[in-house]
Amino acid sequence: MPDLQALVTDFVLKLKRRKIEGSQATAKQTAELLRQVVSQQRMPYTNQASVLIDAVRAVGEQLIAANPIELAVGNIVRRVLHIIREENLSSTTAAMEGLGLTAGSDDDEGEHEDRPGLSAAAVAAAARSTLRAPSLQTLLEDIPESAVAPHPSSSGGDSEGKSKSADRSSRSKKLKHDVIEAINELIQDIDTCHELISEQAVEHIHQNEVILTLGRSRTVKEFLCAAKEKKRTFRVFVAEGAPRYQGHVLAKELVGKGIQTTVITDSAVFAMISRVNMVIVGAHAIMANGGVIAPVGINMVALAAQRHAVPFVVVAGSHKLCPLYPHNPEVLLNEFRCPSDLLDFGEFSDCMDYGSLGGSPLLHVVNPAFDYVQPKLVSLFITDTGGHNPSYVYRLIADYYSADDLVVQRNST
Amino acid sequence: MEPSPKPNHGISAYYQTRAEHHAIISGDWLSQAQAAAAAGHPPEGPPASAAASKPFSVIDEFNHWRRKPDLAEAVAAIMALVAGIRSSDATTMMELEIELKKASDALKSWDTTSISLSAGCDLFMRYVTRTSALEYDDFHAAKLRLIERGEKFGEISLKARRTIAMLGQDFIFDGCTILVHGFSRVVLEVLKLAASNRKLFRVFCTEGRPDKTGLRLSKELATLGIPVKLLIDSAVAYAMDEVDMVLVGADGVVESGGIINMMGTYQTALVAHSMNKPVYVAAESYKFARLYPLDQKDLEPALRPIEFGVPIPAGVEIEKSARDYTPPQYLTLLFTDLGVLTPSVVSDELIQLYL
Repeated sequence: MPDLQALVTDFVLKLKRRKIEGSQATAKQTAELLRQVVSQQRMPYTNQASVLIDAVRAVGEQLIAANPIELAVGNIVRRVLHIIREENLSSTTAAMEGLGLTAGSDDDEGEHEDRPGLSAAAVAAAARSTLRAPSLQTLLEDIPESAVAPHPSSSGGDSEGKSKSADRSSRSKKLKHDVIEAINELIQDIDTCHELISEQAVEHIHQNEVILTLGRSRTVKEFLCAAKEKKRTFRVFVAEGAPRYQGHVLAKELVGKGIQTTVITDSAVFAMISRVNMVIVGAHAIMANGGVIAPVGINMVALAAQRHAVPFVVVAGSHKLCPLYPHNPEVLLNEFRCPSDLLDFGEFSDCMDYGSLGGSPLLHVVNPAFDYVQPKLVSLFITDTGGHNPSYVYRLIADYYSADDLVVQRNST
Repeated sequence: MEPSPKPNHGISAYYQTRAEHHAIISGDWLSQAQAAAAAGHPPEGPPASAAASKPFSVIDEFNHWRRKPDLAEAVAAIMALVAGIRSSDATTMMELEIELKKASDALKSWDTTSISLSAGCDLFMRYVTRTSALEYDDFHAAKLRLIERGEKFGEISLKARRTIAMLGQDFIFDGCTILVHGFSRVVLEVLKLAASNRKLFRVFCTEGRPDKTGLRLSKELATLGIPVKLLIDSAVAYAMDEVDMVLVGADGVVESGGIINMMGTYQTALVAHSMNKPVYVAAESYKFARLYPLDQKDLEPALRPIEFGVPIPAGVEIEKSARDYTPPQYLTLLFTDLGVLTPSVVSDELIQLYL
């Protein structure tokens, strides 16, 4: 069995050196690493969930700090934390139901529960609502402290009889097992998100339409190919996506699938947009307010699309849903790549003379990787769970993340 | 039926409360509020002796609570209703509910201009009628439970400002300029926390005619060492290109996700929107009201006196309304104790609650 710490360090290094490209690969590897963390964690008899949460959180902090711009890492860490909380809750509920039955039958043990009017189901409902983000409803309907107390601490409460310790140890294995199962499901979801998204392609792409995209996104490629496979004929304009020109790659791939493709320069987007029926792009991350962090150039496309009232559709797997708000996206969530994407080595070397003008050259090269697209510019998100409005994103986030986990990152900074 | 006189016809009681509170406002009320939140108790008990000697009046009770500068009106209403439950001699849940309904209606009709008052009453009624406390078989246990939870609700509301400040200060970044309109305790708390976290920013305060709320805010901020600049209300558009974000409080948050706030918020939001600046609202969740204003005039106007400093010519009318409605499309985000919300989430919350 490989050493866990070595695995973590290895992954952190890879993240730091930006060796892993693409959110999907990052997300998958993060999930796999966290599965290792969970499976190698020794489980005590009590407080199992919190032990697991602490372990995952500790590793998660390191991973997030290694590459804070790759939001998929943080997303997966939070998803795993949420999974642990949920599994713990369901096992607690099951235990409580069992407990309720036994408490009714053997009162003589003197371990009768001291919450008469509350059924196990009510407790479970209340506990579940604590997983969700706070809302007016939960604010008003929270359950007395005494009833909630058992849930966050551990599976099983103090009121449980000692005779059940055997039962408890089997349950302890079960929690870990369930969590690993759920993480496996998560990994599978990440793997299959492209298929789920591209299944919806025919509903969005109609006969003889003109689609515009920028750069290359695997999700977009699969989406377009899926529509083609379902016998839709349409044309695609591909903006090349300077400075990496990934659009060229996409164009080749599309032509390989028999799709009528036109390559345009990025600067031609405004010139061509009036002929376009729909813009489909991929994303780096979807923020909690419905804004999108996307490869550079996409904000321009979004503005062009808005100017000509062309629907702007973003396709992204749910691992790209980030529960954070972009406080200052232009500054905080951008990455500056190597200038050699723009200029060949030596090409402008005479302008980059550090000797002149007190050590600062006259020519600077800035190569930002991302754009922030405001939520109001996005018409539709297509994720593996279907199409959603930007204002609906918070609901998706409430489904995938628990409110307590949002601050994982802040501890590390 | 009405022990304390109905507020002066021309001036809204809500406005009077504000004016009273803000007249005596100083740095220490915030610490007072925090102390109250930390202690988990409201600063003083209700006038117990008064309640014993003469028949209980929810409005007197409300007026008692409302005078406390750290208590928002909605919380005062909740405290008054809790006191109502305590002194009630109802013997069944149904009876109690009817009594509460009457009390809350009395409160609401006593001052129809206060949005947070009616929001507080509505929330509390919702809370009573939907609570699992009704599952208790014993009436007295249920009643105690209601009182306990009412008080807890009051506590939650006191802590709300702190939560909002924590959430909101993340949005303030070094070197930014914030435009603030009107005086809001929550906004002050957000700015205060950001400043104590060593963020460097400056604040533009509008003057806030006619009650000079901006002057008060600028005084508070200046004592905290935050660079402040005062603007006259009509300089908002002029100053907007220097501004990075607009931050306002709210009297009430309505079902559309829009807000009702001090006169001038709407125009500030319009200017900010047209210049692509974010507009943030800091508001506690007990200000979420069951209203859906269709336009500016679709509100109970809160009237107030306006001093022009010169004699008003005969036959000239004066617009006396103290607040306006800002539709949701001009708001970027709301900082509430439920988290950072988009306006559409607010609608969702309210619809879910009152469905």
